[in-house]
Amino acid sequence: MNVREKKVRFIAPDTLIGKRIQKMDAPEKASGKTRYIHDINLPGQLYGKILRSERVHARIKSIDTSAAKALAGVHVVITAADIVDQRPIGVAKDHLPLKAGKVRSMRDEVAAVAAESELIAMEALKLIKVEYEDLPILTDPAEAIKPGAVLIHPEPHRPDGHDALKPGGSVAFTGKPDNIAMRFDYCHGDVVQAEAESDVVVEDTFKLHYVTHCCLGVSGMIAEFDASGNLLMYSNTQVPFLHKREFAEILNMDPGRIRIIQPSIGGGFGSKLDIYPFEVICVYLARAAKRPVKLVFTREEEFISSPTRQPVLLTLRSGCRKDGSLTFRTVHTLHDNGAYTSWGATTPFVMMQTFSSLYRVPNCDYHTVAVYTNNPYAGSFRGYGNLQATFAVEAHMDKMAEAIGMGPLEFRLKNAQDEGEVSGQGMDFKSCGFKDCLNIAAERSDFKRKFAENVKNRNAPGPIKRGIGIASMLHVGGGAKIYPSDGCGTILKLDDFAQVTLITGASEIGQGSETVLSQLVCEELGLPMSALTVINNDTAITPWDVGVHASRTTFIAGNSALGAARLAKAKILAAAAKKFECAEEELDLRGGCVIKAANGEVLIDLPRLMRSLHFQDKAELVMTTFYYEPPSSHQDKDYKGNVSAAYAWGTQVVEIELDTETGIVRMTKVTAAHDVGRVLNRLGIEGQVEGGVVMGQGYALTESLIVENGVTRNPNFRDYKLVTAPEIPEMDIAFIESMDGEGPKGAKGVGEAPAICVAAATANAIYNATGVRICGLPFTPERVYRALHGKGEKLYLAPEQAA
Amino acid sequence: MTEIEQYVAPSSLEQAAEYLQRPGGVTILAGGTDLMPQSQGGRLKIRRTLMNINHIPELQGIAIEGGAIRIGALATITEIMQSELIKKHLPILIEACDHFASDQIRNAATLGGNVCNASPAGDMLVPLLVLDAEVELASKPNGSLSRRRLPLAEFFVGPGKTRLGEAELLAGLRIALPSAHHYARFFKFGTRPALDISTISIGIAGVLQDGALANVRVAFGAVAPVPMRAPRTEQALEGKRLDTASIDAIADVARDEVTPIDDIRATAWYRKELIHNITKRMLAHVAQS
Amino acid sequence: MSLNHEIEFTLNGVKRRATVRVDMSALDMLREVIGLTGTKYGCGEGECGACTILVDGLSLNSCLMFAVDCQGRNVVTIEGLAADAKADALRAAFTEHGAVQCGYCTPGMVMQASHLLASQPDADAAAIKRGIEGNLCRCTGYKKIVDAIASVNSADKQGATP
Repeated sequence: MNVREKKVRFIAPDTLIGKRIQKMDAPEKASGKTRYIHDINLPGQLYGKILRSERVHARIKSIDTSAAKALAGVHVVITAADIVDQRPIGVAKDHLPLKAGKVRSMRDEVAAVAAESELIAMEALKLIKVEYEDLPILTDPAEAIKPGAVLIHPEPHRPDGHDALKPGGSVAFTGKPDNIAMRFDYCHGDVVQAEAESDVVVEDTFKLHYVTHCCLGVSGMIAEFDASGNLLMYSNTQVPFLHKREFAEILNMDPGRIRIIQPSIGGGFGSKLDIYPFEVICVYLARAAKRPVKLVFTREEEFISSPTRQPVLLTLRSGCRKDGSLTFRTVHTLHDNGAYTSWGATTPFVMMQTFSSLYRVPNCDYHTVAVYTNNPYAGSFRGYGNLQATFAVEAHMDKMAEAIGMGPLEFRLKNAQDEGEVSGQGMDFKSCGFKDCLNIAAERSDFKRKFAENVKNRNAPGPIKRGIGIASMLHVGGGAKIYPSDGCGTILKLDDFAQVTLITGASEIGQGSETVLSQLVCEELGLPMSALTVINNDTAITPWDVGVHASRTTFIAGNSALGAARLAKAKILAAAAKKFECAEEELDLRGGCVIKAANGEVLIDLPRLMRSLHFQDKAELVMTTFYYEPPSSHQDKDYKGNVSAAYAWGTQVVEIELDTETGIVRMTKVTAAHDVGRVLNRLGIEGQVEGGVVMGQGYALTESLIVENGVTRNPNFRDYKLVTAPEIPEMDIAFIESMDGEGPKGAKGVGEAPAICVAAATANAIYNATGVRICGLPFTPERVYRALHGKGEKLYLAPEQAA
Repeated sequence: MTEIEQYVAPSSLEQAAEYLQRPGGVTILAGGTDLMPQSQGGRLKIRRTLMNINHIPELQGIAIEGGAIRIGALATITEIMQSELIKKHLPILIEACDHFASDQIRNAATLGGNVCNASPAGDMLVPLLVLDAEVELASKPNGSLSRRRLPLAEFFVGPGKTRLGEAELLAGLRIALPSAHHYARFFKFGTRPALDISTISIGIAGVLQDGALANVRVAFGAVAPVPMRAPRTEQALEGKRLDTASIDAIADVARDEVTPIDDIRATAWYRKELIHNITKRMLAHVAQS
Repeated sequence: MSLNHEIEFTLNGVKRRATVRVDMSALDMLREVIGLTGTKYGCGEGECGACTILVDGLSLNSCLMFAVDCQGRNVVTIEGLAADAKADALRAAFTEHGAVQCGYCTPGMVMQASHLLASQPDADAAAIKRGIEGNLCRCTGYKKIVDAIASVNSADKQGATP
């Protein structure tokens, strides 16, 4: 007998889930090797620059580009008149990239240049002569909504800007008989009845302000047509597939001839979810110049031209019974739509979810009117209206609690939902860690004791007052079915060395999606993270994904990747079962090997198995695909429905020190408890929460885009205050793992959550410290000081103004 | 694009002073931390000659010269912060440096540049005023290098404007060595430790004597077109025994003495409130010293 | 027409020449004339620190520096830190501590941190935060960046880095 001694190996069980996994592209980024769009240069490229309006609202009488065209190094100069096939873009298709006939805001694009260098392009801009005829400026939506107000988009108008419609002529936008861009009306229950049954009713008007994304990487794009007229765009869009389709429509091209490559992005936060004029203009320039065109913003241009967070003036009326149960919420909001409609006008989709479903509220009435003005338009920004709504909801939670003599925590616990509840808007809370979030955040911050102590010290001597405030938030955590599909596709392949290529439609915007998707696949296939390469940034290669928004990527792209990985695993185990003549159920993948599930005994290492599969008679490669569509529904015409496959909660307790002699508020500590379903990449999720908290801190205390008479007064970091390192609070973060049944390994989305309730908790902390409630943001020293001295801004929004 | 026709980098003060007489004007390059953004932002046009003064030895160094500390115009904020002489004799300047912009800017920004930029909110200017600093200006009017001195308080004319002549160069600043019992403190209002254009800043200096300050100097920043001395506040404070009532009264004088403007950083009313409240706080500190 | 000037300086340890426009910033020189894109444009006004480089051992904002002022000086960019062992430890710490998300601020942060560690080897968390006050980050909330830098400091004290 010839027995070859064979060493038997065993591999103990292990898991990647919940571990601190290093971000895969971090070493490149820390070495300065990563190429962002600003770092990419194509041979023969020209540099594009945009001439923006000098007026807030004006008729364009004439544009003289002759001197600009004559400047050495200038290839093309274009205006609306040169682009006869121009089509409007944006959420309401009311927005021509190059303005014709009229400018309606300071960011309006009037002309564009492509030249040999950026410097020459900027010189050329100075040589373009535009004659304007001023029109009355509308910067207050309350004024713009009045009958007889000047119309920002009179009906109808043609691409060349004339208001009269010639038969057969093209219509850019049918225009409006008034300045109302959009309306939203929602209701569940009967608020009138509910108010009659309430023991306490409170009403306040809240003013939520302009802030902006301030991605460290400014906006930019490169457009190039190849010899056959196919379009290649290097773009930082967060929605490449939607973009592809929209561009095809705008340019009247076959979408199959448009390709988008996404270089690494210098921050997204929702700023890149719509189509913006500069992108279309860049393509027009490339088309006209027949050369690749690179167009990159300056920081000032970024501040002036990028979409902002949606400013909101809202009146909330809330009621409860003396036993603490909420009875109703009635909401009226006035949304400043700005001159053109972008995603900001649709924030009511999210806001009504908060008003209808954050805490159990049996009756809810919600109304938004979004009104055109000559102000900058707002887009989508981390939280998407939820910061604004939560600011109001959580102010009233404290107010009502105080009115009935109940503690703020008790009041919230009384109304917090449990797993299995379905909200008034039809949101199905299949996994819900809400009460755990409240209890744990309160416990870890010693909330109750500090709250009581601070109230006692309100009138104690000394200028420094401490405050502690609590607030919670609810956001979608399993995607959001607002497009026809909320799905994501994955293609997976293993090579002869068991190296995996994961091709996913989900974009990486710095949040670590490529790492968490790899983590899920490696967990499933029993491989180390080093075995995986991710391809996620080329529409010619990757399968469809709707885009990076609504905190959906871990959940949906994660499930998609898992689906493909499971199919691959099944194929591998089936092949191994055949080879080792046993049942598939007896086998597993671990440590880069096929093992016996019962005891971890190694049967074969995976690379060898892959090669034996490949080089056998009936050759086989392991390649799988999976498209995951979450089991959520579209909302009906009344906005009701289970729009997400899962929901996530978070509670934050904010502690402050307030100097009553200057109004300075220092955020000293934030204790956060977030229901995330399951922690996948602990390092990544901590980073998301910490970053979100500090973004919320900026919204609450320091950031404000000052727009006066339609002009942005602080388009720079000198006067637009981002939070800097010495200002950050101490952060204590806990994760509640409510193990969502549908989420990948139980996980839910968390991208937006941590930014959402910081300002709300801060407002409550200021009240705790001083007994003064401030209903407008941000809590700059001057605003706080004025409020403490009875000189605060009086806010009021009449229902008729908003309805 | 600028229209610079000549770039020079002299290696002596005399050479620099000669260049200053060139037709078409000369723009001086030191740290560049104000010049670059102002030029690129279109707020300042660089003249025909760009003169790099970073290699001129007479503009460098921090030393004691005849009973005074001379700080060369090219001394960077970091150099001042790390100077043993300054730490020992003029700690108020260290306080101001610590609130100045950021480490990166402190490493490049020069004291001369900060003085010549003459911002109403200039961080170093308020403490220099209460230290009775003098500027040392060099030129070569009649073929030989000459210098003149001017009290800093007389140097500022308006926002961004000084009495620096067309053909003059700021060579350095001189501050008389403070006497015993000299007290000097600086406060800059902001929500950040640094990296803030001040909303208001206050400098108070004098000689401590029997619970009062004598030879008082008070200066305010960001509440006037130039960093200003506050004569009425000085008068109210001079020799006054400091208790709650007198501190209140002096703070009221301070509030009334300033006439700031509304701008995007703050309103005039709030600036006045801050001047009042912070002056009060600073005087309480003086009382405890 | 703008005036050009030739300078000679040491870049990342290598002596070299460059022809620059006299009014050009060091940042533009690095990115456009020399072609090193690791140093980033964030604001052009010295407020964000994304453009931080080392000049004669001091960190400064290359967007504020005139390129001509590089004459005769020793300039180090993020690409040059590749050769530095301490910088290796810093880069590894950034990765290990999750201090990188979109990564755009990271080169400037690493450059500033490198200078901070060299000039303040005893810097605690508070001093580190002050040390990077001129570097803006929108993604991380700074906490993990501070942790990363502090870990290199303390590892240093324990003799863990060569």
